[in-house]
Amino acid sequence: MVVASQVSRWYGQVIGVNDVTCEIGPGITALLGMNGAGKTTLIRLITGQLRPTTGVLTVFGLQPFANPEVYRRMGYCPEIDNFYEHYSGRDFVRYLARLDGMSAAKAASRTDEVIDMVGMTERAGRRIAGYSKGMRQRIKLAQAMLHDPDLILLDEPLNGLDPVGRREFMDLLHGLAENGKGILVSSHILFEVEQMTRSLLLLHRGRLLATGDLGVIRSLIDKHPHQIRIDTDEPRRAAELLASVPNIVSMKFDRSGEALELEVREPAAFYDALSAAILERGLLVRGLSSPDNNLESVFKYLVEA
Amino acid sequence: MEQAIFFQALRENLRLRRFLPWIVLGVLLVFGFGHLWSTFQPDASLEQRYGTVSSILVFHILALTSAILTSTILSQEIEQKTIVYLVTRPVPRWKLLLFRYLACGLVVSFLGGFNAVCASVGVYGSLGAGASLAKDIAAIVVGAFAYGAFFMFLGLLFNRAMIMCLLFAFGWETMVPNMPGQMCYLSINSYLQAIAQHPSQGGNKGLGLLTSTAGDNTLTSSVGYMAMIGFAVALVALSAWWFSTFEYLPREDAE
Repeated sequence: MVVASQVSRWYGQVIGVNDVTCEIGPGITALLGMNGAGKTTLIRLITGQLRPTTGVLTVFGLQPFANPEVYRRMGYCPEIDNFYEHYSGRDFVRYLARLDGMSAAKAASRTDEVIDMVGMTERAGRRIAGYSKGMRQRIKLAQAMLHDPDLILLDEPLNGLDPVGRREFMDLLHGLAENGKGILVSSHILFEVEQMTRSLLLLHRGRLLATGDLGVIRSLIDKHPHQIRIDTDEPRRAAELLASVPNIVSMKFDRSGEALELEVREPAAFYDALSAAILERGLLVRGLSSPDNNLESVFKYLVEA
Repeated sequence: MEQAIFFQALRENLRLRRFLPWIVLGVLLVFGFGHLWSTFQPDASLEQRYGTVSSILVFHILALTSAILTSTILSQEIEQKTIVYLVTRPVPRWKLLLFRYLACGLVVSFLGGFNAVCASVGVYGSLGAGASLAKDIAAIVVGAFAYGAFFMFLGLLFNRAMIMCLLFAFGWETMVPNMPGQMCYLSINSYLQAIAQHPSQGGNKGLGLLTSTAGDNTLTSSVGYMAMIGFAVALVALSAWWFSTFEYLPREDAE
Protein backbone atom coordinates (compact mmCIF):
# COMPACT_ATOMS: atom_id res chain seq x y z
CA MET A 1 0.00 0.00 0.00
CA VAL A 2 2.73 2.46 0.98
CA VAL A 3 6.24 2.31 -0.46
CA ALA A 4 8.89 4.78 0.68
CA SER A 5 12.29 4.79 -0.95
CA GLN A 6 15.08 6.84 0.60
CA VAL A 7 12.63 9.51 1.65
CA SER A 8 13.94 12.59 3.44
CA ARG A 9 12.11 15.71 4.43
CA TRP A 10 13.76 18.90 5.59
CA TYR A 11 12.12 21.90 7.26
CA GLY A 12 14.69 24.54 6.39
CA GLN A 13 17.75 23.53 8.43
CA VAL A 14 15.90 20.91 10.45
CA ILE A 15 15.44 17.37 9.25
CA GLY A 16 12.07 15.74 9.81
CA VAL A 17 12.71 12.29 8.37
CA ASN A 18 16.03 11.09 7.06
CA ASP A 19 16.51 8.52 4.31
CA VAL A 20 13.56 6.34 5.24
CA THR A 21 12.92 3.22 3.18
CA CYS A 22 10.00 1.01 4.11
CA GLU A 23 6.82 -0.69 2.95
CA ILE A 24 3.49 -0.79 4.71
CA GLY A 25 0.92 -3.42 3.78
CA PRO A 26 -2.37 -4.76 5.10
CA GLY A 27 -2.79 -5.34 8.84
CA ILE A 28 -1.79 -3.12 11.73
CA THR A 29 1.64 -1.53 11.64
CA ALA A 30 2.87 0.60 14.51
CA LEU A 31 5.01 3.65 13.93
CA LEU A 32 6.92 3.97 17.14
CA GLY A 33 9.18 6.78 18.22
CA MET A 34 9.73 9.37 20.88
CA ASN A 35 8.31 12.85 20.57
CA GLY A 36 10.11 14.62 17.73
CA ALA A 37 11.27 11.37 16.13
CA GLY A 38 9.56 12.20 12.82
CA LYS A 39 6.37 10.13 13.12
CA THR A 40 4.02 12.97 12.25
CA THR A 41 6.24 14.09 9.38
CA LEU A 42 6.22 10.58 7.92
CA ILE A 43 2.44 10.41 8.27
CA ARG A 44 2.10 13.81 6.61
CA LEU A 45 4.25 12.59 3.74
CA ILE A 46 2.05 9.53 3.35
CA THR A 47 -1.14 11.61 3.55
CA GLY A 48 0.21 13.99 0.92
CA GLN A 49 0.22 17.08 3.09
CA LEU A 50 3.96 17.31 2.49
CA ARG A 51 6.23 16.41 -0.37
CA PRO A 52 9.50 14.57 0.24
CA THR A 53 12.58 16.76 -0.18
CA THR A 54 14.38 13.75 -1.65
CA GLY A 55 13.34 10.18 -2.38
CA VAL A 56 10.09 8.72 -3.63
CA LEU A 57 6.98 7.87 -1.68
CA THR A 58 3.95 6.23 -3.28
CA VAL A 59 0.59 5.19 -1.89
CA PHE A 60 -1.33 2.62 -3.94
CA GLY A 61 1.32 3.27 -6.61
CA LEU A 62 0.51 7.01 -6.80
CA GLN A 63 2.16 10.19 -5.57
CA PRO A 64 -0.02 11.22 -2.64
CA PHE A 65 0.45 15.02 -2.62
CA ALA A 66 -2.96 16.69 -3.16
CA ASN A 67 -4.11 13.57 -5.00
CA PRO A 68 -7.86 12.87 -4.65
CA GLU A 69 -7.37 9.36 -6.09
CA VAL A 70 -5.25 8.49 -3.06
CA TYR A 71 -7.62 10.15 -0.59
CA ARG A 72 -10.52 8.09 -1.96
CA ARG A 73 -8.80 5.02 -0.49
CA MET A 74 -7.17 6.58 2.56
CA GLY A 75 -8.55 7.71 5.92
CA TYR A 76 -6.60 9.93 8.26
CA CYS A 77 -7.05 10.59 11.96
CA PRO A 78 -4.70 13.50 12.74
CA GLU A 79 -2.99 14.15 16.04
CA ILE A 80 -4.39 17.67 16.31
CA ASP A 81 -7.29 18.29 18.65
CA ASN A 82 -8.95 21.00 16.53
CA PHE A 83 -12.44 20.95 15.08
CA TYR A 84 -15.21 23.29 14.05
CA GLU A 85 -16.06 23.72 17.70
CA HIS A 86 -19.55 25.11 17.11
CA TYR A 87 -20.56 22.03 15.09
CA SER A 88 -22.03 18.95 16.67
CA GLY A 89 -20.01 15.77 16.26
CA ARG A 90 -22.63 14.46 13.84
CA ASP A 91 -22.61 17.64 11.71
CA PHE A 92 -18.83 17.60 11.56
CA VAL A 93 -18.65 13.99 10.39
CA ARG A 94 -21.56 14.48 7.97
CA TYR A 95 -19.85 17.50 6.39
CA LEU A 96 -16.69 15.47 5.81
CA ALA A 97 -18.81 12.64 4.40
CA ARG A 98 -20.18 15.11 1.86
CA LEU A 99 -16.59 16.08 0.99
CA ASP A 100 -15.94 12.40 0.39
CA GLY A 101 -18.45 12.68 -2.45
CA MET A 102 -21.45 11.07 -0.76
CA SER A 103 -24.98 12.28 -1.48
CA ALA A 104 -26.78 14.01 1.40
CA ALA A 105 -28.81 10.86 2.21
CA LYS A 106 -25.81 8.53 1.97
CA ALA A 107 -23.72 10.91 4.07
CA ALA A 108 -26.38 10.98 6.79
CA SER A 109 -26.70 7.19 6.99
CA ARG A 110 -22.95 6.53 6.80
CA THR A 111 -22.35 9.18 9.47
CA ASP A 112 -24.75 7.38 11.81
CA GLU A 113 -22.98 4.08 11.09
CA VAL A 114 -19.46 5.27 11.88
CA ILE A 115 -20.61 7.26 14.89
CA ASP A 116 -22.17 4.08 16.19
CA MET A 117 -18.95 2.15 15.49
CA VAL A 118 -16.99 4.52 17.73
CA GLY A 119 -19.65 4.48 20.44
CA MET A 120 -20.72 8.13 20.11
CA THR A 121 -24.37 7.72 19.10
CA GLU A 122 -25.74 9.16 22.32
CA ARG A 123 -23.44 12.19 22.31
CA ALA A 124 -23.07 12.99 18.62
CA GLY A 125 -25.73 15.70 18.73
CA ARG A 126 -23.81 17.80 21.25
CA ARG A 127 -21.48 20.63 20.27
CA ILE A 128 -17.87 19.53 19.89
CA ALA A 129 -16.76 22.43 22.12
CA GLY A 130 -18.19 20.49 25.08
CA TYR A 131 -16.54 17.17 24.24
CA SER A 132 -13.92 15.48 26.41
CA LYS A 133 -10.59 14.49 24.89
CA GLY A 134 -11.76 10.90 24.52
CA MET A 135 -14.95 11.93 22.72
CA ARG A 136 -12.91 14.09 20.34
CA GLN A 137 -10.64 11.13 19.57
CA ARG A 138 -13.66 9.01 18.76
CA ILE A 139 -15.08 11.64 16.40
CA LYS A 140 -11.70 11.92 14.67
CA LEU A 141 -11.63 8.17 14.25
CA ALA A 142 -15.19 8.18 12.91
CA GLN A 143 -14.35 10.68 10.18
CA ALA A 144 -11.31 8.61 9.17
CA MET A 145 -13.50 5.54 8.56
CA LEU A 146 -16.29 7.33 6.69
CA HIS A 147 -15.53 6.21 3.16
CA ASP A 148 -14.46 2.70 4.17
CA PRO A 149 -10.83 3.33 3.17
CA ASP A 150 -8.30 0.58 2.42
CA LEU A 151 -5.61 2.40 4.39
CA ILE A 152 -6.16 4.24 7.68
CA LEU A 153 -3.49 6.39 9.29
CA LEU A 154 -3.90 7.17 12.96
CA ASP A 155 -1.58 9.69 14.58
CA GLU A 156 -1.38 9.08 18.34
CA PRO A 157 -5.00 7.86 18.42
CA LEU A 158 -5.01 6.56 21.98
CA ASN A 159 -4.20 9.92 23.60
CA GLY A 160 -6.98 10.83 25.98
CA LEU A 161 -8.88 7.57 25.77
CA ASP A 162 -9.81 5.84 29.02
CA PRO A 163 -8.94 2.15 29.48
CA VAL A 164 -12.36 0.97 28.30
CA GLY A 165 -12.13 3.28 25.29
CA ARG A 166 -8.67 1.93 24.50
CA ARG A 167 -9.90 -1.63 24.63
CA GLU A 168 -12.87 -0.84 22.36
CA PHE A 169 -10.60 1.10 20.03
CA MET A 170 -8.12 -1.75 19.75
CA ASP A 171 -10.91 -4.25 19.11
CA LEU A 172 -12.18 -1.98 16.36
CA LEU A 173 -8.71 -1.78 14.78
CA HIS A 174 -8.28 -5.54 14.93
CA GLY A 175 -11.67 -5.96 13.25
CA LEU A 176 -10.66 -3.60 10.46
CA ALA A 177 -7.30 -5.29 10.03
CA GLU A 178 -8.97 -8.70 9.80
CA ASN A 179 -11.00 -7.32 6.91
CA GLY A 180 -7.79 -6.63 5.00
CA LYS A 181 -7.40 -2.94 5.78
CA GLY A 182 -3.97 -1.43 6.20
CA ILE A 183 -3.67 0.50 9.44
CA LEU A 184 -0.71 2.62 10.48
CA VAL A 185 -0.79 3.72 14.10
CA SER A 186 1.77 6.11 15.51
CA SER A 187 2.62 6.12 19.17
CA HIS A 188 5.43 6.92 21.55
CA ILE A 189 4.34 4.33 24.11
CA LEU A 190 5.82 0.88 23.63
CA PHE A 191 3.33 -0.82 25.96
CA GLU A 192 0.43 0.63 24.00
CA VAL A 193 1.80 -0.62 20.72
CA GLU A 194 2.55 -4.10 22.02
CA GLN A 195 -1.15 -4.58 22.67
CA MET A 196 -2.06 -3.70 19.11
CA THR A 197 0.43 -5.32 16.79
CA ARG A 198 3.69 -7.18 16.34
CA SER A 199 4.63 -5.24 13.23
CA LEU A 200 6.77 -2.18 13.87
CA LEU A 201 8.49 0.75 12.28
CA LEU A 202 10.84 2.29 14.81
CA LEU A 203 11.83 5.90 14.17
CA HIS A 204 14.54 7.73 16.05
CA ARG A 205 15.68 11.26 15.25
CA GLY A 206 14.16 11.04 11.80
CA ARG A 207 15.82 7.75 10.92
CA LEU A 208 14.16 4.39 10.61
CA LEU A 209 16.02 2.43 13.28
CA ALA A 210 14.30 -0.91 12.96
CA THR A 211 11.44 -2.55 11.09
CA GLY A 212 9.73 -5.85 11.40
CA ASP A 213 8.43 -8.02 14.20
CA LEU A 214 8.20 -6.61 17.68
CA GLY A 215 9.36 -9.98 19.06
CA VAL A 216 12.75 -9.59 17.39
CA ILE A 217 13.17 -6.16 18.86
CA ARG A 218 11.93 -7.39 22.22
CA SER A 219 14.44 -10.25 22.26
CA LEU A 220 17.21 -7.81 21.40
CA ILE A 221 16.15 -5.73 24.36
CA ASP A 222 15.94 -8.82 26.55
CA LYS A 223 19.63 -9.55 25.95
CA HIS A 224 20.40 -6.49 28.08
CA PRO A 225 20.01 -6.79 31.84
CA HIS A 226 16.73 -5.25 32.91
CA GLN A 227 16.56 -3.16 36.02
CA ILE A 228 13.77 -4.19 38.35
CA ARG A 229 12.89 -2.56 41.64
CA ILE A 230 10.79 -4.37 44.23
CA ASP A 231 9.35 -2.26 47.07
CA THR A 232 8.81 -4.44 50.08
CA ASP A 233 8.99 -4.33 53.87
CA GLU A 234 11.11 -7.51 53.78
CA PRO A 235 13.87 -6.85 51.22
CA ARG A 236 16.24 -9.39 52.79
CA ARG A 237 13.65 -12.14 52.61
CA ALA A 238 12.86 -11.18 49.02
CA ALA A 239 16.56 -11.44 48.18
CA GLU A 240 16.74 -14.87 49.80
CA LEU A 241 13.68 -16.15 47.91
CA LEU A 242 14.85 -14.82 44.56
CA ALA A 243 18.56 -15.55 44.82
CA SER A 244 18.21 -18.92 43.16
CA VAL A 245 16.47 -17.57 40.07
CA PRO A 246 18.78 -17.93 37.06
CA ASN A 247 20.01 -14.96 35.02
CA ILE A 248 20.07 -12.48 37.88
CA VAL A 249 23.13 -10.34 37.18
CA SER A 250 23.16 -8.25 40.33
CA MET A 251 21.10 -7.62 43.43
CA LYS A 252 21.35 -4.77 45.96
CA PHE A 253 19.32 -3.11 48.68
CA ASP A 254 18.08 0.40 48.25
CA ARG A 255 19.52 2.98 50.69
CA SER A 256 16.23 3.29 52.54
CA GLY A 257 16.26 -0.44 53.13
CA GLU A 258 12.73 -0.78 51.84
CA ALA A 259 13.44 -1.97 48.33
CA LEU A 260 15.45 -4.53 46.44
CA GLU A 261 17.05 -3.53 43.14
CA LEU A 262 17.99 -6.19 40.63
CA GLU A 263 19.47 -6.56 37.18
CA VAL A 264 17.95 -9.49 35.30
CA ARG A 265 18.76 -11.00 31.92
CA GLU A 266 15.51 -12.85 31.22
CA PRO A 267 12.77 -10.78 32.78
CA ALA A 268 9.97 -13.18 31.81
CA ALA A 269 11.52 -16.03 33.82
CA PHE A 270 12.22 -13.70 36.70
CA TYR A 271 8.61 -12.44 36.84
CA ASP A 272 7.39 -16.06 36.97
CA ALA A 273 9.70 -16.72 39.94
CA LEU A 274 8.56 -13.53 41.63
CA SER A 275 4.90 -14.51 41.21
CA ALA A 276 5.64 -17.85 42.82
CA ALA A 277 7.45 -16.16 45.72
CA ILE A 278 4.49 -13.90 46.32
CA LEU A 279 1.80 -16.54 45.97
CA GLU A 280 3.49 -19.59 47.50
CA ARG A 281 5.87 -18.05 50.05
CA GLY A 282 3.75 -15.09 51.09
CA LEU A 283 6.23 -12.36 50.16
CA LEU A 284 4.64 -8.94 50.69
CA VAL A 285 5.30 -6.62 47.74
CA ARG A 286 4.19 -2.99 47.84
CA GLY A 287 5.40 -1.97 44.44
CA LEU A 288 7.17 -3.24 41.35
CA SER A 289 8.78 -1.14 38.67
CA SER A 290 11.18 -1.52 35.79
CA PRO A 291 12.90 1.82 35.24
CA ASP A 292 14.41 0.93 31.88
CA ASN A 293 11.38 -0.74 30.31
CA ASN A 294 10.59 2.29 28.22
CA LEU A 295 11.17 3.58 24.74
CA GLU A 296 14.33 5.49 25.56
CA SER A 297 15.93 2.28 26.75
CA VAL A 298 14.79 0.48 23.63
CA PHE A 299 16.46 3.09 21.47
CA LYS A 300 19.57 2.98 23.61
CA TYR A 301 19.83 -0.78 23.23
CA LEU A 302 19.16 -0.66 19.52
CA VAL A 303 21.73 2.04 18.91
CA GLU A 304 24.27 0.06 20.94
CA ALA A 305 23.35 -3.11 19.02
CA MET B 1 -19.44 17.76 -2.94
CA GLU B 2 -19.37 21.25 -4.49
CA GLN B 3 -22.72 22.01 -2.87
CA ALA B 4 -21.40 20.91 0.50
CA ILE B 5 -18.34 23.17 0.25
CA PHE B 6 -20.45 26.11 -0.90
CA PHE B 7 -23.18 25.78 1.70
CA GLN B 8 -20.76 25.09 4.55
CA ALA B 9 -18.88 28.29 3.70
CA LEU B 10 -22.17 30.16 3.39
CA ARG B 11 -23.30 28.81 6.76
CA GLU B 12 -20.01 29.89 8.34
CA ASN B 13 -20.32 33.42 6.99
CA LEU B 14 -23.97 33.71 7.95
CA ARG B 15 -23.36 32.78 11.58
CA LEU B 16 -25.08 35.41 13.68
CA ARG B 17 -21.90 36.46 15.48
CA ARG B 18 -20.20 37.07 12.17
CA PHE B 19 -23.06 38.49 10.16
CA LEU B 20 -24.98 40.64 12.62
CA PRO B 21 -22.28 43.29 13.24
CA TRP B 22 -22.27 44.13 9.52
CA ILE B 23 -26.05 44.52 9.47
CA VAL B 24 -25.90 46.74 12.56
CA LEU B 25 -23.12 48.77 10.95
CA GLY B 26 -25.21 49.24 7.81
CA VAL B 27 -28.28 50.36 9.70
CA LEU B 28 -26.57 52.64 12.19
CA LEU B 29 -23.73 54.09 10.17
CA VAL B 30 -24.84 54.09 6.52
CA PHE B 31 -28.52 54.82 7.11
CA GLY B 32 -27.72 57.37 9.85
CA PHE B 33 -25.02 59.07 7.79
CA GLY B 34 -27.29 59.15 4.72
CA HIS B 35 -30.08 60.65 6.75
CA LEU B 36 -27.84 63.35 8.24
CA TRP B 37 -25.92 64.16 5.05
CA SER B 38 -28.49 66.80 3.96
CA THR B 39 -27.17 68.90 6.84
CA PHE B 40 -23.66 68.94 5.35
CA GLN B 41 -24.65 69.28 1.68
CA PRO B 42 -27.98 71.17 1.77
CA ASP B 43 -27.77 72.49 -1.79
CA ALA B 44 -27.00 69.17 -3.47
CA SER B 45 -29.64 67.09 -5.25
CA LEU B 46 -30.79 63.83 -3.69
CA GLU B 47 -28.92 61.91 -6.40
CA GLN B 48 -25.70 63.79 -5.60
CA ARG B 49 -26.14 63.21 -1.88
CA TYR B 50 -26.77 59.50 -2.44
CA GLY B 51 -23.68 59.28 -4.67
CA THR B 52 -21.56 60.96 -2.02
CA VAL B 53 -22.77 58.76 0.82
CA SER B 54 -22.35 55.67 -1.34
CA SER B 55 -18.80 56.63 -2.35
CA ILE B 56 -17.72 57.56 1.17
CA LEU B 57 -19.29 54.69 3.07
CA VAL B 58 -20.77 51.91 0.96
CA PHE B 59 -17.72 51.36 -1.26
CA HIS B 60 -15.22 51.66 1.59
CA ILE B 61 -17.23 49.33 3.81
CA LEU B 62 -17.36 46.91 0.88
CA ALA B 63 -13.55 46.74 0.82
CA LEU B 64 -13.47 46.36 4.59
CA THR B 65 -16.09 43.58 4.64
CA SER B 66 -14.29 41.74 1.90
CA ALA B 67 -10.93 42.11 3.65
CA ILE B 68 -12.30 40.61 6.85
CA LEU B 69 -14.45 37.84 5.39
CA THR B 70 -12.48 36.78 2.32
CA SER B 71 -8.93 36.90 3.60
CA THR B 72 -9.93 34.15 6.06
CA ILE B 73 -11.30 31.78 3.41
CA LEU B 74 -8.43 29.39 4.08
CA SER B 75 -6.11 31.20 6.50
CA GLN B 76 -8.58 30.66 9.32
CA GLU B 77 -8.60 26.93 8.62
CA ILE B 78 -4.81 26.97 8.58
CA GLU B 79 -4.56 28.86 11.86
CA GLN B 80 -7.19 26.67 13.51
CA LYS B 81 -5.47 23.61 11.99
CA THR B 82 -8.75 22.28 10.58
CA ILE B 83 -7.19 22.56 7.11
CA VAL B 84 -5.95 19.00 7.70
CA TYR B 85 -9.47 17.61 7.40
CA LEU B 86 -10.01 19.41 4.10
CA VAL B 87 -6.77 18.68 2.27
CA THR B 88 -6.91 14.96 3.02
CA ARG B 89 -10.37 14.42 1.47
CA PRO B 90 -10.91 13.26 -2.11
CA VAL B 91 -11.81 16.72 -3.30
CA PRO B 92 -9.55 18.70 -5.65
CA ARG B 93 -8.04 21.64 -3.82
CA TRP B 94 -9.15 24.12 -6.47
CA LYS B 95 -12.76 23.17 -5.84
CA LEU B 96 -12.36 23.81 -2.12
CA LEU B 97 -11.03 27.24 -2.87
CA LEU B 98 -13.43 28.17 -5.66
CA PHE B 99 -16.68 27.27 -3.90
CA ARG B 100 -15.60 28.91 -0.66
CA TYR B 101 -14.71 32.02 -2.63
CA LEU B 102 -18.10 32.04 -4.37
CA ALA B 103 -19.95 31.69 -1.05
CA CYS B 104 -17.90 34.47 0.48
CA GLY B 105 -18.39 36.70 -2.56
CA LEU B 106 -22.13 36.17 -2.33
CA VAL B 107 -22.23 37.17 1.35
CA VAL B 108 -20.05 40.25 0.76
CA SER B 109 -22.26 41.22 -2.21
CA PHE B 110 -25.36 40.88 -0.06
CA LEU B 111 -23.88 43.00 2.73
CA GLY B 112 -22.70 45.63 0.21
CA GLY B 113 -26.13 45.66 -1.42
CA PHE B 114 -27.77 46.00 1.98
CA ASN B 115 -25.56 49.01 2.73
CA ALA B 116 -26.48 50.60 -0.61
CA VAL B 117 -30.15 50.13 0.24
CA CYS B 118 -29.53 51.66 3.69
CA ALA B 119 -27.86 54.66 2.01
CA SER B 120 -30.81 55.04 -0.38
CA VAL B 121 -33.35 54.85 2.43
CA GLY B 122 -31.27 57.23 4.52
CA VAL B 123 -31.03 59.85 1.75
CA TYR B 124 -34.36 59.45 -0.06
CA GLY B 125 -36.44 57.97 2.74
CA SER B 126 -37.18 55.12 0.30
CA LEU B 127 -35.55 53.07 -2.48
CA GLY B 128 -35.79 56.24 -4.57
CA ALA B 129 -32.15 56.06 -5.69
CA GLY B 130 -33.52 53.87 -8.53
CA ALA B 131 -31.05 53.70 -11.41
CA SER B 132 -28.13 54.88 -9.23
CA LEU B 133 -28.91 52.12 -6.73
CA ALA B 134 -29.05 49.53 -9.50
CA LYS B 135 -25.66 50.66 -10.86
CA ASP B 136 -24.24 50.66 -7.35
CA ILE B 137 -25.44 47.12 -6.71
CA ALA B 138 -23.85 45.97 -9.98
CA ALA B 139 -20.58 47.66 -8.98
CA ILE B 140 -20.82 46.12 -5.50
CA VAL B 141 -21.26 42.59 -6.84
CA VAL B 142 -18.31 43.01 -9.21
CA GLY B 143 -16.32 44.66 -6.41
CA ALA B 144 -17.11 41.91 -3.91
CA PHE B 145 -15.68 39.27 -6.24
CA ALA B 146 -12.72 41.41 -7.32
CA TYR B 147 -11.73 42.35 -3.77
CA GLY B 148 -12.43 38.77 -2.70
CA ALA B 149 -10.09 37.32 -5.31
CA PHE B 150 -7.32 39.70 -4.30
CA PHE B 151 -7.70 39.18 -0.56
CA MET B 152 -8.00 35.43 -0.96
CA PHE B 153 -4.72 35.38 -2.86
CA LEU B 154 -3.03 37.47 -0.16
CA GLY B 155 -4.44 35.05 2.42
CA LEU B 156 -2.74 32.18 0.60
CA LEU B 157 0.57 33.99 0.34
CA PHE B 158 1.06 35.45 3.79
CA ASN B 159 0.57 34.58 7.43
CA ARG B 160 -1.83 36.98 9.12
CA ALA B 161 -2.81 38.44 5.78
CA MET B 162 -5.78 40.23 7.27
CA ILE B 163 -3.55 43.08 8.47
CA MET B 164 -2.31 43.59 4.92
CA CYS B 165 -5.84 43.36 3.56
CA LEU B 166 -7.09 45.96 6.04
CA LEU B 167 -4.20 48.27 5.18
CA PHE B 168 -5.09 47.85 1.54
CA ALA B 169 -8.79 48.46 2.15
CA PHE B 170 -8.26 51.54 4.34
CA GLY B 171 -5.02 52.99 3.03
CA TRP B 172 -4.46 52.06 -0.58
CA GLU B 173 -8.11 52.18 -1.61
CA THR B 174 -8.56 55.59 0.01
CA MET B 175 -5.39 57.27 -1.22
CA VAL B 176 -4.52 55.79 -4.60
CA PRO B 177 -7.78 56.74 -6.39
CA ASN B 178 -7.04 60.35 -5.46
CA MET B 179 -3.57 60.35 -6.98
CA PRO B 180 -2.87 62.25 -10.16
CA GLY B 181 -2.10 60.76 -13.56
CA GLN B 182 -2.47 57.03 -14.20
CA MET B 183 -1.90 56.00 -10.58
CA CYS B 184 -5.63 55.84 -9.84
CA TYR B 185 -5.92 52.85 -12.17
CA LEU B 186 -4.00 50.79 -9.62
CA SER B 187 -7.01 50.87 -7.31
CA ILE B 188 -10.03 48.59 -7.49
CA ASN B 189 -12.16 51.43 -6.17
CA SER B 190 -11.47 53.51 -9.31
CA TYR B 191 -12.97 50.78 -11.50
CA LEU B 192 -15.97 50.42 -9.21
CA GLN B 193 -16.52 54.17 -9.33
CA ALA B 194 -16.40 53.92 -13.12
CA ILE B 195 -19.12 51.26 -13.03
CA ALA B 196 -21.26 53.17 -10.51
CA GLN B 197 -20.93 56.51 -12.39
CA HIS B 198 -21.76 58.65 -9.35
CA PRO B 199 -22.36 62.35 -10.08
CA SER B 200 -19.17 64.44 -10.02
CA GLN B 201 -18.32 66.42 -6.90
CA GLY B 202 -17.63 69.45 -9.09
CA GLY B 203 -14.87 71.60 -7.77
CA ASN B 204 -15.25 70.48 -4.16
CA LYS B 205 -11.74 69.10 -3.54
CA GLY B 206 -12.53 68.01 0.03
CA LEU B 207 -15.47 65.89 -1.03
CA GLY B 208 -13.46 64.58 -3.97
CA LEU B 209 -10.84 63.26 -1.54
CA LEU B 210 -13.44 61.84 0.83
CA THR B 211 -15.23 60.00 -1.95
CA SER B 212 -11.92 58.83 -3.49
CA THR B 213 -12.78 60.49 -6.80
CA ALA B 214 -10.19 63.28 -6.83
CA GLY B 215 -7.88 61.48 -9.28
CA ASP B 216 -7.89 61.69 -13.07
CA ASN B 217 -10.22 58.76 -13.49
CA THR B 218 -11.59 58.70 -17.04
CA LEU B 219 -12.56 55.04 -17.15
CA THR B 220 -15.87 54.09 -18.72
CA SER B 221 -18.36 51.72 -17.18
CA SER B 222 -17.66 48.92 -19.67
CA VAL B 223 -13.90 49.15 -19.11
CA GLY B 224 -14.60 48.95 -15.36
CA TYR B 225 -16.61 45.75 -15.80
CA MET B 226 -14.10 44.09 -18.10
CA ALA B 227 -11.09 45.03 -16.01
CA MET B 228 -12.62 43.82 -12.74
CA ILE B 229 -14.01 40.58 -14.15
CA GLY B 230 -10.66 39.83 -15.80
CA PHE B 231 -8.81 40.71 -12.60
CA ALA B 232 -11.03 38.44 -10.48
CA VAL B 233 -10.85 35.50 -12.89
CA ALA B 234 -7.06 35.78 -13.21
CA LEU B 235 -6.52 35.96 -9.45
CA VAL B 236 -8.90 33.09 -8.68
CA ALA B 237 -7.09 30.94 -11.26
CA LEU B 238 -3.73 31.92 -9.77
CA SER B 239 -4.97 31.19 -6.24
CA ALA B 240 -6.33 27.80 -7.31
CA TRP B 241 -3.00 26.88 -8.90
CA TRP B 242 -1.10 28.14 -5.85
CA PHE B 243 -3.24 26.22 -3.38
CA SER B 244 -3.01 23.04 -5.46
CA THR B 245 0.76 23.29 -5.80
CA PHE B 246 2.07 24.34 -2.41
CA GLU B 247 1.99 22.73 1.03
CA TYR B 248 -0.52 23.98 3.55
CA LEU B 249 0.16 22.90 7.08
CA PRO B 250 -1.20 24.15 10.39
CA ARG B 251 0.55 27.49 10.88
CA GLU B 252 2.97 26.94 13.75
CA ASP B 253 4.05 23.57 12.35
CA ALA B 254 5.09 25.22 9.13
CA GLU B 255 7.09 27.97 10.80
